[in-house]
Amino acid sequence: MAEAVDNPTHAEEAPPSALVVDDSPDVHRLLSARLRNEHLSIISATNGEEGLRLALERSPSIVLLDIEMPGMDGFEVLRRLKDNAATSDVPVIILSGHSTMQDKVTAFDLGAVDYVVKPFEPTELRVRVRSALRLARLVKMLAQRAQIDGLTGLWNRTYFDARCKECVSANDRHGRSLSIALIDADHFKSVNDTFGHPAGDVVLQGIAEALRKQCRATDIACRYGGEEFAVLMPETRPTDALILCERIREQIERVVWSKHPERAVTVSIGLAGAAAKCPLAADRWVEAADKALYKAKSDGRNRTIAVDLVKLAPRIAMAG
Amino acid sequence: MSNTRSAPLVSEFAGDPEMQELVEFFVSALPERIDAIRGALGEQRFRDLQRLAHQMKGAAGGYGFPAIGTAAGALEGTLKQNEQPPLDQVRGEVDALIALCNRAAGV
Repeated sequence: MAEAVDNPTHAEEAPPSALVVDDSPDVHRLLSARLRNEHLSIISATNGEEGLRLALERSPSIVLLDIEMPGMDGFEVLRRLKDNAATSDVPVIILSGHSTMQDKVTAFDLGAVDYVVKPFEPTELRVRVRSALRLARLVKMLAQRAQIDGLTGLWNRTYFDARCKECVSANDRHGRSLSIALIDADHFKSVNDTFGHPAGDVVLQGIAEALRKQCRATDIACRYGGEEFAVLMPETRPTDALILCERIREQIERVVWSKHPERAVTVSIGLAGAAAKCPLAADRWVEAADKALYKAKSDGRNRTIAVDLVKLAPRIAMAG
Repeated sequence: MSNTRSAPLVSEFAGDPEMQELVEFFVSALPERIDAIRGALGEQRFRDLQRLAHQMKGAAGGYGFPAIGTAAGALEGTLKQNEQPPLDQVRGEVDALIALCNRAAGV
């Protein structure tokens, strides 16, 4: 499984590094000297194949790539870097001895962020590297912002949908256990109507806080929409997920709200999980959790209803 | 100046402390490069000669010797464009390149 960034506010930055792919040892020597004060550790590759391998293994912050190399040339390396989801976001600066129009157009078309002609002017190279790193950071931040819910700081529905699909396919292909919880605030409309929308917002933020507190590093807590939340729990059997859901439910119930201390807020939770391979599509998983949530509501709210999809799957599949 | 042909060629980065060591290193390794280029020309290994010229073109400019880089680039261009390179022209360009290299001075 890919390294999960569970909590958007705690996304970590690795120490920056630059991968230099060039067949000339001189270029490696020169770049190391020129970038010495940029707080970048230099990773060296002397041919295209080695460059691709190191790009995957070391996840560099930036790639400085020569075009003319024996064997696989720089354009092919660039093409493959951009074709692989694991390396497609790394900014690539082309270092070339040629400055023909066609080479530049090809480089930018293939996804390079910049093009520097050798021999490079050291100061210019430094500022271009800095600028590429700055741009990459902003793009990453923007991509992440688009997946974060503004009110609660949790992941949003878009992010949930994408990760849910990944987790379900990991269950389907490798039999990894998985649990999904849908959490809905009870009588939320009456909180809004009685105490006003700002009080309602504080409740949503309080629920998010409880989720952040109780969820483990690998859990993915999201705002699903309105007063509904979702938690993806990879590698978690439904029996263990039930314990976690109950902790979440109890913690929310205990909160004393400053705007309405006399009025507690409870949540109902629907949980769907499987400890083994379960042949259902992602939307079927969510549907099952939603049905369990509906049952929790109709049974009197402030409770968790769990369903084991390994037992239930044949019936769901039959129902079509 | 009348003696520019023999005047020492000083790196553009001669005053740059972060480059001093590298320039010295480049200049001290020039005789080896010259030998390799002479050898490739003598045995008419034009592929090797083209690769050496290409490397020299990329390196020399980086160490602050653009004139050497330009000369190496001319040689590379001649070899690249011709299946059977015109030997006299290649010899002339190699000589010009080596003459420049011999003038390169450390810091």
